[in-house]
Amino acid sequence: MASTSPALAPATSNDPLEPALLIEGAQTDASLNDSLFGHVWALPGKGWWGLFGIALMGLTLLLVGLTYTLYKGIGAWGNNIPVGWAFGIINFVWWIGIGHAGTLISAILLLLQQKWRTSINRFAEAMTLFAVICALIFPLIHTGRPWFAAYWLLPYPSVNGIWPQFKSPLVWDVFAVSTYFTISLLFWFLGLIPDLASLRDSSKSPTKRMIYGIFAMGWRGSGRHWAEYKWSYLLLAGLSTPLVLSVHTIVSFYFAVSVLPGWHTTVFPPYFVAGAVFSGFAMVLTWMVPARHFLGLKHVVTMKHLENMNKVILATGLMVTYGYVMEHFIAWYSGNPYEFAMFFKVRQRGPFAPVYWLMIFCNVVVPQIFWSKKARTSLPIMWIAAILVNVGMWCERFNIIVTALHRDFLPSKWEIYAPTWVDWSIYLGTIGLFSTLFLLFLKFVPAVAATEVKELRHEIAHHAEGGEAHG
Amino acid sequence: MSSAPVPPVRPRVSLPLIEEARADTEVKSREVRRYWRSIAEKEGSPSLRAAAAREFPAGASELPEPNRRGFMQLLGSSAALTGMAACHQPQQQAVPFVRRPPEVTPGLSLHFATGYSLEGFSTGLLVESHEGRPTKVEGNPEHRDSLGASRAFEQALLLGLYDDDRAKQISYKGEPIAWRRFLAEVALLASKHAADGGARLRFLSDPTASPLLGELRTRLLAKFPNARFVSYSPVACDGSADGLAAAFGRAVEARHDLTRASVILSLDSDLLGDGPEQLRLARQFAAQRVPGPGMNRLYVVEPTLSVTGMSADHRIRMRAGDVAPFAQALAAELGGRGGFSQLASLGGAGPAASGVDARLVRAVAADLAKNRGRSLVVAGRRQPAAVHALAAALNAALDNVGVTVSYAAPLLLDARAGAAPIARLAQEIAANQVDTLVITARNPVYTAPADLKLDRLLSRVPTTIYHALYQDETSPACGFFIPAAHPFESWGDGRATDGTITITQPLIAPLWGGVTDIEVLAAFLGEGDRGAHRVLRDSWQAKLGSVPGATGGDYDQIWEKWLADGLIVGTETSPLGDLSLDFGAVGRELSAFNAAAPRGAGFELVFAPDYKVFDGRFANASWLQELPDPVTKVTWDNAALMSPATAKALGVEVERDGDKLSIVAIEYRDRRIQAPALIVPGHADECITLPLGYGREGSEQVGRGVGFNAGALRTSEAPWFDRGAQVSLATGMHLFGITQNHWSDEGRDPAMEVALTDFQNEHSPFHERIEERRGSLPTIHAPVDYSKQQYKWAMAIDLGKCTGCSACVVACQAENNIPVVGPEQVVKGREMQWLRIDRYYSGDIADPEVVIQPVACMHCETAPCEYVCPTNATVHSDEGLNEMVYNRCIGTRYCSNNCPYKVRRFNFLDYTSETPAVRRLGMNPEVTVRSRGIMEKCTYCVQRIEKKRIDTRIEGRAIQDGELLTACQQGCPSGAIVFGNLNDPQSRVTKLHADARRYDLLHELGTRPRTAYLARVRNPNPELAKS
Amino acid sequence: MSQGQPGQAPGHGHGPGSGFRPRRFVLGQFTDSDALLVATRKMRELGHKQLDTHTPYPVHGIEAALGLGRAKIPTIVLMGAIAGACIAYSMIYYMNVFDFPINVANRPQHSPPSMLPITFELAILLGGSSAFFGLFMLLKLPEPYHPVFEARSFARASIDGFFLSVEVPAGTDPADVAVDMRGFGSTEVQVIEESER
Repeated sequence: MASTSPALAPATSNDPLEPALLIEGAQTDASLNDSLFGHVWALPGKGWWGLFGIALMGLTLLLVGLTYTLYKGIGAWGNNIPVGWAFGIINFVWWIGIGHAGTLISAILLLLQQKWRTSINRFAEAMTLFAVICALIFPLIHTGRPWFAAYWLLPYPSVNGIWPQFKSPLVWDVFAVSTYFTISLLFWFLGLIPDLASLRDSSKSPTKRMIYGIFAMGWRGSGRHWAEYKWSYLLLAGLSTPLVLSVHTIVSFYFAVSVLPGWHTTVFPPYFVAGAVFSGFAMVLTWMVPARHFLGLKHVVTMKHLENMNKVILATGLMVTYGYVMEHFIAWYSGNPYEFAMFFKVRQRGPFAPVYWLMIFCNVVVPQIFWSKKARTSLPIMWIAAILVNVGMWCERFNIIVTALHRDFLPSKWEIYAPTWVDWSIYLGTIGLFSTLFLLFLKFVPAVAATEVKELRHEIAHHAEGGEAHG
Repeated sequence: MSSAPVPPVRPRVSLPLIEEARADTEVKSREVRRYWRSIAEKEGSPSLRAAAAREFPAGASELPEPNRRGFMQLLGSSAALTGMAACHQPQQQAVPFVRRPPEVTPGLSLHFATGYSLEGFSTGLLVESHEGRPTKVEGNPEHRDSLGASRAFEQALLLGLYDDDRAKQISYKGEPIAWRRFLAEVALLASKHAADGGARLRFLSDPTASPLLGELRTRLLAKFPNARFVSYSPVACDGSADGLAAAFGRAVEARHDLTRASVILSLDSDLLGDGPEQLRLARQFAAQRVPGPGMNRLYVVEPTLSVTGMSADHRIRMRAGDVAPFAQALAAELGGRGGFSQLASLGGAGPAASGVDARLVRAVAADLAKNRGRSLVVAGRRQPAAVHALAAALNAALDNVGVTVSYAAPLLLDARAGAAPIARLAQEIAANQVDTLVITARNPVYTAPADLKLDRLLSRVPTTIYHALYQDETSPACGFFIPAAHPFESWGDGRATDGTITITQPLIAPLWGGVTDIEVLAAFLGEGDRGAHRVLRDSWQAKLGSVPGATGGDYDQIWEKWLADGLIVGTETSPLGDLSLDFGAVGRELSAFNAAAPRGAGFELVFAPDYKVFDGRFANASWLQELPDPVTKVTWDNAALMSPATAKALGVEVERDGDKLSIVAIEYRDRRIQAPALIVPGHADECITLPLGYGREGSEQVGRGVGFNAGALRTSEAPWFDRGAQVSLATGMHLFGITQNHWSDEGRDPAMEVALTDFQNEHSPFHERIEERRGSLPTIHAPVDYSKQQYKWAMAIDLGKCTGCSACVVACQAENNIPVVGPEQVVKGREMQWLRIDRYYSGDIADPEVVIQPVACMHCETAPCEYVCPTNATVHSDEGLNEMVYNRCIGTRYCSNNCPYKVRRFNFLDYTSETPAVRRLGMNPEVTVRSRGIMEKCTYCVQRIEKKRIDTRIEGRAIQDGELLTACQQGCPSGAIVFGNLNDPQSRVTKLHADARRYDLLHELGTRPRTAYLARVRNPNPELAKS
Repeated sequence: MSQGQPGQAPGHGHGPGSGFRPRRFVLGQFTDSDALLVATRKMRELGHKQLDTHTPYPVHGIEAALGLGRAKIPTIVLMGAIAGACIAYSMIYYMNVFDFPINVANRPQHSPPSMLPITFELAILLGGSSAFFGLFMLLKLPEPYHPVFEARSFARASIDGFFLSVEVPAGTDPADVAVDMRGFGSTEVQVIEESER
């Protein structure tokens, strides 16, 4: 067929983008097609079934937790007065944050024309979707009367004869998160269509052909279509970029608009976003490292991709650290006794000090190892670091929410907080749900955007040939 | 229709009403009104009465129709349940509810005056009643021991009335029997005992001053001259009785009056938080707490921190056993001065020897001497006769008699009701000298000193008749069991501490056919079936001549008037004038005491009546169980209270942010109990305080198994305190439901206080500090203008007056149908009381100063809770109330998170749906019962505001200042809480908001709270303050 | 194109016997994108209308080769976004300021800062949705059947095949078109006829 190995051979040269490292070995469109769809056509192996079983167990845990909560009420959790919010909102913020990496990789890196995004964006976008699904459980279930919360926040003429109170960040968030989920879904599906078409066309069995055909919506790679399609995709990316920034900004408003010491902080929006990307990339790595191995994607998800992601983690980690520093500095500089007590007494020496110090270790200390290339390129190190970062970010949310609440203005109403088994089962349950969805995704949809990789391969080939034919 | 013995179709809702409706004397019943629609109406403006007769607010009449039906059915069935027992009820009281009596308007509540007798003295009450169901207890403003206020105990009577655990069946050795059968048995017994003049007949009762019981007693003694009556109360104040008897050579009772007391010295006396006089004393004390020349000064000498101790200007902690030496040192010091020579002889060894801080004694003595004739020395119920005698001597020497303290002939039928009398009874039983024992005292087996082993002794008495509300620890040991009628179901009378006769009238027919003690005693006179009402009414008719101002006129009318007032005006007994204190006798008493007093080593055990369950009689009132202790803030528990140093020495461990403490083993006279330790700053060292009334094992489901029974260590020789206990660390920890673990205010100074001198000095930093905490802050948005409104509701809380007694908390709980959540939930931090009382320690934690601050919703004008609510469930009213709209709430709890005062409460679980049907009768029909998953908080008693608004609109006038009281305000004995209209320049709340001591809590947040605080001004002795 | 086309195009929607005139296509496959680009340009220069290419991924410069105008999507998205913003702001204003104003924590009824987040989010939501659904309306997708699918080898169009299709106007012989296409280096040319269904 068309341009083959020789095209790639010289590509290892002095190109600053080091494109060769983005796709390893001699590849053709066909070979890419086979290798990238291989895991879709192959029957699930023992490993997959094992993981899927574990994930389902997690899912059951979630269902048990939710059912019990609905049956008993929020009292089934550890929450109290003053700690009105705990695991529910912690997990919500944590999951939403994780979601952000997906949109960021696929949107922002697209706008910045970062070629290395192509092999990982599909993967990351899927992760976004599933993370947001997990997150969406909490705003609903954490309310005292979810059967009303489900629709009373929407602006419709309700029996109460009254409208939502649009000054509340909770209402802002209803719009933000639902928008975020919708746009991410559309963006993901749009990018998926050409691949679905090639799945349709390369599938052997008529049933699969039929199913993928339905989802491909009759895509035929028409040049006229591509012309509009590219714009649509680009614009969705363009819209997702401010969206992803706004969503976590609004989540941070939960806290920033309040009056509580430790919540009422203007640095929250930027550092929540940074933290979100930070945790998101960590989560991508956590899944990508094993996945590229088991799905045979090493040739498209190369060490360069992983290293770049580690660089991002380092960068965002530094931003998060800056956020911490500023919080503490302002707490001291403002001379506000409540703020000072929160940041320098309660969090560092209070009952939840271990969580605080674990957060500092995971989010501030751990990322620093990525200054060394050795660490950036060592699979075990980056994998453990990624997991630690996820732990750290969860601790950060715990710190912001529970620690700030349990000791606020009046010492008379300071209370200790202790989560219950229901709290834990719901939290672990969402991880189960996430894994379940992810494993299904890996089974039915190409984990890498084949079309884009082919396009990339094509471009590289042309670079190699000095293809300034089309400037 | 009354005379005909018709079977009880349905008991009438409220007995007094029946007497009314009798013979259609509607005219009469209108001119002789003994039911009020409100206290204002009780004061009785004619226009009001007319209005009440003329017109009722729309919708008032249809609303409660089903309520009444359901209630009638329930009464019917419960009457059927109690079967035969029902037929003892006087027949004429059982008339069907065919015609609505003129005074009952469905939807409008009535207030009935009655009384409740604790420790023998009766406190006047007004009980609100909806369609015949008592729903709220208030104090009787005209009653001298209430002055309109009430203790947490009285508030909680409501729960006792509707308590499903109450005994419901007359029985003999567990077999149900009929009242008639019982009467027959008693008749037999009576005739048997008549033979030897009742030599082997004994009556054991609570201490009482009831004239009727007194009369029955005399009649019984006439019939059985050799019978004996014994009073017993586990918290009786015998020390006072003995001491005063010794000092004056005759039995007298002390009456205290703080209105003119400039310096008060409490010798281990909790005068503001305990005892029958507490409500009045708290009011009088608070009245003198306004900064200025007349401000009083309170010294408290006590082993454990008490309500009085928290209000003290100087608190001197010492073991209960060291109080006597201190008092003697004080006498010696005073004796050394001119004009007090008669005290010199009482001084004993003097300060040096008794190891008391001489400087302290000198200062107190100087202060007392300086305020000669305007001071008061009070000894507490724990203290022995000697100390009471000495206190009397000090008062006499200080010329306080007749000013701050006076002595009157005893009102109690038995001056002594402590360990001695019951010990003697026990001896008689042991010696088989008792054939029949009639127990109307509450649960003696549980309360009696453990060394008497009363439970075993009772089984040796051939016939025991036990009359009680519950099947408790005592009932198994007794033969006959008679379910008692609740005070709100009973006729009776009593006396206030000043002797005023208080009539107790029932508000509802006995729910489970309870019987009054009057009927039980009358049974021995063969009048058991006359019914308490007749017995009482006739006895007073006979005594009519002796009652001042009651001569002549129609007895019916006089009787109605008494019932309406709840008391008989002008029946107080005057103090004895011809008393002379025998200092020599006091000296002898003291030396005898000094000779006997054990100076033993080892820990000192101190027993204390509990602020919540008293001596255990309120153990089944869940409101009280869940009420945070005024001092320790412990709920659903008692503990071995000890000082930080003692705890350290014992190696007591504290975990879980102060919720979890080690359990200690206490051994005393080879009795041994295990009790969880609790650290109380300001407690005396090497001393353990054990609150009584817990560890109950009766049939009371609520109180059963809560805490430990401190009584197990009580002996008849040392019922109150003694040294020589071994305390050691036991294994295990105990998890407390403590609502406030944190002692310090972290220097945030939420509850401001200042010394009088600093307050009077303009340049003191205090004024700077308080100025920062009031006035307007810069704001972006123009504040909403409420001045156009007719009303602008606000509250002011005077920290100087608040004693922390916590009556307001229970009053609020009763008024607003606040659920009880149980110990586990409290441990989790989910208590529901809308009003909490914060307590902060400052200074040396071994001997701290305490400041108290009631905190409920502040009704901020810029409420942080409001703008974060997504569903508009909490918004502002035109009059500036921060309103909580339950049916819009979805329970995000965001409002609570954003509330800087943390006064919002959340229904984490379904706390209400399992309320027993009978308990629901007592719910306030004007307040929504909240469901699971929604937020709630203080509403400034909005239902009271609206009710008053309706009433005044009917009369076409505005709400006057002072006629609208919130529940907490009405319950408060010291008048610390004031609620009113800021748009009325003359209202008290307006004036208080302009007071020099006014400040806003967390003012710097710009929430503009409607509740303002008045800083507490202390009045320390300058000589002591110097150091 | 000839006038007949539009008139006939709807015809193929009708059932049998409605004078169904199948559309005819000439489909040529090319070795790679460059060959395709060249061929497309040349075919257009020859005056062939109704050209279309089918490639597994967007080929750079194909718009020019096909002579397409500016994309329409951006305008649609812009309008969607503006609509979203307006709807959001006016909705909040109506609900909290006009229809049911309440004193909430002394805040002004109309406070733009608190209205911005939702305004922004709704703008994104409607903008994004119009980018997605607008595209599908524009491209007339989903379109399960298209004559080019008739070609066996067309399956490769989504994998690694590069195709040029010409819809043959009525009265023109597909063979001529096929000849031209071969002339421009198509490895394999076939004539497809829309099948009736």
